[in-house]
Amino acid sequence: MVETTGGEGDSRVEALRARLTRRDVIRGVAGTGIALSIAGFSRPGAHAQDASPTAGPPIKVAFVYVSPVGDLGWTWAHDQGRLALEQTLPNVETSYQESVPENPADAERVIRDFAQKGNQIVVTTSFGYMQPTINVAKDFPDTTFVHISGYMTAENVSTAFGKIEEPRYVSGLIAGKMTKSNQLGYVAAFPIPEVIRGINAFTLGVRKANPAATVKVVWTNTWFDPQKERQAADALLDGGADVITQHQDTAAPQQAAEARGAYGVGYDADMSPLAPKAVLTSPIWHWGVYYIDLVRQVQAGTWQSNQYWGGWKDGLVDLAPIAPMVPEDVRAMGETEAAKFRNGEQTIYTVFTGPLKDQSGEEKVPVGQAMTDEALLTMDWFVEGVEGDPTP
Amino acid sequence: MHAATVPHAIEMIGVTKRFGPVVANDGVDFAARPGEVHALVGENGAGKSTLMSILAGLYHPDAGVLSIHGEPVEFRSPRDAIDCGIGMVYQHFMLVDSFTVAENAILGARDAGIVLDTASAERDLARLGERYGLKVDSRARVWQLSVGEQQRVEIVRLLYRGAKILVFDEPTAVLTPQESADLIRTLRAMAAEGFCVVFISHKLDEVLAVADRVTVLRRGRAVATVEARTTDRRALARLMVGRDLLPGTSRSDSMVPHTGKDIRETILEIRDLRANGDKGLPALSGVDLDVHAGEILGVAGVAGNGQRELAETITGLRPVTGGRVRVNGTDMTNRPPGDIARAGVAHVPEDRLGTGLVPGADLTDNAIMRRYRRAPLARGPFLVRRAAAVFTDRLLAAHDVIAPGRTAPVRNLSGGNQQKLLLARELAGEPQLLVAVHPTRGVDVGAAETIHRLLREQQSRGAATLLISEDLDELLALADRIAVLYEGRIMGIVDARATDPDHLGLLMAGIAPAAASA
Amino acid sequence: MTQPQPAAASPEHPAVLRLEARAAPSQAVAVLVSIVSVALALLVGGLVLLASGEDPIAVYRVMFTGAFGSRSSLAETLVKTIPLLLTGLGVGIAFRMQLWNIGAEGQLYLGAIAATGIALFVLPDAPASVLIPAMVLAGLAGGAVCGAIPGFLRARLGVNEIITSLMLNYVAILLADQLVHGPWRNPVGFGFPGTEQLPDAAWLPRWGTTRVHLGLAFGLVAALLVWVVLRRTRWGYEIGVMGGNERAARYAGMATARNILLVMAFSGALAGLAGMSEVAGIGHQLQRNLSPGYGYTAIIVAWLGHLHPAGITLVAFLLAGLLVGGDQIQMSMGLPAAIAPMLQGTILFFLLGGEALGRYRLVRRSPSAGPRPRAEAR
Repeated sequence: MVETTGGEGDSRVEALRARLTRRDVIRGVAGTGIALSIAGFSRPGAHAQDASPTAGPPIKVAFVYVSPVGDLGWTWAHDQGRLALEQTLPNVETSYQESVPENPADAERVIRDFAQKGNQIVVTTSFGYMQPTINVAKDFPDTTFVHISGYMTAENVSTAFGKIEEPRYVSGLIAGKMTKSNQLGYVAAFPIPEVIRGINAFTLGVRKANPAATVKVVWTNTWFDPQKERQAADALLDGGADVITQHQDTAAPQQAAEARGAYGVGYDADMSPLAPKAVLTSPIWHWGVYYIDLVRQVQAGTWQSNQYWGGWKDGLVDLAPIAPMVPEDVRAMGETEAAKFRNGEQTIYTVFTGPLKDQSGEEKVPVGQAMTDEALLTMDWFVEGVEGDPTP
Repeated sequence: MHAATVPHAIEMIGVTKRFGPVVANDGVDFAARPGEVHALVGENGAGKSTLMSILAGLYHPDAGVLSIHGEPVEFRSPRDAIDCGIGMVYQHFMLVDSFTVAENAILGARDAGIVLDTASAERDLARLGERYGLKVDSRARVWQLSVGEQQRVEIVRLLYRGAKILVFDEPTAVLTPQESADLIRTLRAMAAEGFCVVFISHKLDEVLAVADRVTVLRRGRAVATVEARTTDRRALARLMVGRDLLPGTSRSDSMVPHTGKDIRETILEIRDLRANGDKGLPALSGVDLDVHAGEILGVAGVAGNGQRELAETITGLRPVTGGRVRVNGTDMTNRPPGDIARAGVAHVPEDRLGTGLVPGADLTDNAIMRRYRRAPLARGPFLVRRAAAVFTDRLLAAHDVIAPGRTAPVRNLSGGNQQKLLLARELAGEPQLLVAVHPTRGVDVGAAETIHRLLREQQSRGAATLLISEDLDELLALADRIAVLYEGRIMGIVDARATDPDHLGLLMAGIAPAAASA
Repeated sequence: MTQPQPAAASPEHPAVLRLEARAAPSQAVAVLVSIVSVALALLVGGLVLLASGEDPIAVYRVMFTGAFGSRSSLAETLVKTIPLLLTGLGVGIAFRMQLWNIGAEGQLYLGAIAATGIALFVLPDAPASVLIPAMVLAGLAGGAVCGAIPGFLRARLGVNEIITSLMLNYVAILLADQLVHGPWRNPVGFGFPGTEQLPDAAWLPRWGTTRVHLGLAFGLVAALLVWVVLRRTRWGYEIGVMGGNERAARYAGMATARNILLVMAFSGALAGLAGMSEVAGIGHQLQRNLSPGYGYTAIIVAWLGHLHPAGITLVAFLLAGLLVGGDQIQMSMGLPAAIAPMLQGTILFFLLGGEALGRYRLVRRSPSAGPRPRAEAR
């Protein structure tokens, strides 16, 4: 079965990726539609032949979400993965709890409840669930737990995350070409490595396309708060930014940009339906790729605790179609770059290859040297071209 | 004198109102005619306020019928009563301080509309004022007016809104004797114009002076309606309390000054005392007073001339800005109220529910306020509830406080019983100095009698008493000497045996006759 | 007396209801009102559920069993009771004195910060017998300081404690954020916010395999203590007098300013203990989102509990059940997350509304030939 550590993919992932690419083409032709993306996943024919054993009781998988599934962002993307899982594998039963607070008392209770209710797999999709997941896992050794975005593992707890920095870098290349004021805005949730990495990847893309541009960061200290996200975007727009991107759970920053006639780059899901005049493109997640694989492994009894970090090549992350208002040459450039990531010619390591300077101009990574996983996972400094404080 | 065919302005038949187990009005019949001043008298808790609240639309009766000018009515809100031409003048005026007189008149008037026509209101007010002797400057702001002027504004406002029935709740309590006389003339003039005037008062002299008829309430029932011409104070008092009063103890009946005590040592010594009022303006501007052991020193004055500030600075509730207060020779200026109380000073404050009692707390909690720090009520940091109960029961029994029980909230007691409880508590510690402010205000005749007896007992015990009152009869009956406060100064100190209300009235008005400077 | 003419009962007019103040609300009425309020709330909630196509009986059964139906659900309800009880008691004693301490949330955080600081940096190697009492004291002290600041400003300068205590919530929460993102961040936590785990000795003992921890005992002891203070001590008597009439308290010679300070500190200390027990009993580290707003829910707990320690204890438990059970309807029935808070809100609305109505009574009456209700809006 599949070995999903590092960034390697096997043939099945390749196949999925190919299918996803096809889906994007279909959608590109159809023009738009979130519903279509579900439809894309829901064509079971492709997997009919390699379906796992269908006999016996269904395998139960539970998901713990931090925001409502209707956020059309982070949680929505995970729920799309859950639906893909249900529609792709025949003998799976899923359930979820949305808007679960990240405080230890509530999160642990919900996770424990799911385990008690006989779910074989419990997926917890926010960083704040890390310790509670570990706590509950101790008491349920026969249950498989997956925590998204954390670093703690156990015998029966895996972590999973994706190299969203790859499509973020490409979105930065496009945004850098589209800005007129050379001032871009980034609405960011928390000063943690995951978010800092994304900001740096985007900025590296922007500066590659337009060395004069800078990216200004505003922290919101929340994953999900449309009001606050919007206010932060407005502040950036007031400051002269004409392209707004974000690391949040909703499309509010893009909508703020649209309201001012500015551009935006979405995140999590293709946000163009929510702000069609603004969204240039969106780095997006295909969690179904991972979830389907996870369930197969558990069903086959081959699952082992691991730390999965999937990339574009694996199909876990992607870039939504580039909007029609992007000039032909820029779009072509973006698609060429995207293709390089899809085929593995470029990766997160090529994005973060020296020379890299920090905000003060001091060299952090020498010429030709790629950053290590550990350096990336603990990144707490901004590259040159970012305006803002990485440790507020 | 009144044609029988003219319907009554107010007719209440069989009105009953219960509050839980308490029957406030028990089948009350009350009728008042247009063109008469009808007085409503009764002890506290007799049901006067409840009856008038029903008339004002504040309460709905449990049984009974109310007719206005012969039409049966049912009031769902005070608004309905106002629309029926009923106007209430309460002790606390319903005026907006920062508005002008005319604006206050328009406020809440029926057809005020959106744009305020203050000019025409000013003309109307001037005309009404002329007609009934209620002259007010309609452009003045209410806060600039004296209490008497504010009352006139209140009356004119009701007339402006078309009230035909006017109810006055103890209107003279806040007035000088001269102002009271003016008011009585106004009420007579209004009755002559065909208004129906209902006059609630404790002061039987006034009642007899102003009213055509008098209805007496006792314990929720209307016990009699009598022609004022054919009755007297004594008869009314008997109807109110249901028994004869002890001679010489009622405020009004006892005009005979008692013999002065030997003047012994000075307990309270006040020198050049200065303090500010609530609005930060000087309220006391250099007061000098001595009160001796075994003496009752009366303080007279029109409300708002520094009485409250005087009591509060002595008892430590208000900062002294200048001068000295000594108790038994010890300087107590600006000491905390607790220290002053421990030095033997008791205080019956002006507003018993606002300062002296905790309305929502039960009798026990109110009774032990001066005692809870000491054994046997206190044991270390703890409060011995059983000892508190024993103490309270003893206090209630000794002073004949009528209450449903010691766990009842003090708010539910009648005014007289509240005051008796307060006084009992203050006197339980056998204070050397008692500062009593309006101790019988709003209290029925029976309770007033008890309170006067208690004050006399203090005197014979050798305690000093500073008695601040607006009731000149009370001062004349109880005090050895009377000091008159006017605009924060002592206008004069007179021997109570050698003065009379007219003389005091002049001093209270700030006029110092040559003879008054004693 | 002759009983009235037709006016009181003219048949062509429908009877109307109106509110009238009760002379004195009785105990029996209060209980009845609560029962009727809950019934009404469930009824209205049920109608909403019906309208959205759900079976209300099934939903309520799931909520009930989810909160009280099994050993583990009951345990989780108790876990949730602890912070609600401690903060509710703290808020309640301040409210008794008419001090509107809206700052229990911040006081909880400061208690948590202080307790964490002791465990991680001051006595990291101490045995539980030393460390836990030290953390309790630190939690109490942290909350007390956070409560005493608005108390001091109110007592000495007359600054409105509602504003200051509310504002301190943001200060305390952001201080916790700052610490877990910055100086106290777990050095081996890959830069993620949150302190490292507390040493084992700092963990409050738990009851069997459940998450119910020693904090429950803190809460119950605190409830008893508050009752003793209020009912059996001179200080409690002073609190009652000050709450009933602050002027009367000054008149009686009580040190009103000192009492304001002390009560605010005491109130804050209880909330601080809630923060300490959340850290030491549940999370075992200081992190963001320590409390989902316990300090605000505490206000509802205190009111519904009539500011009485026994009432607060009962309400904290029931409200915890309502919150825990509410999550179950999503988990077991797949209903949207918004349903639970909506039901909870409905129930609280009716309870608080019933509370207000309990002080009045409905009077049935019929309109009369008297003044017509005015047509124009007043």
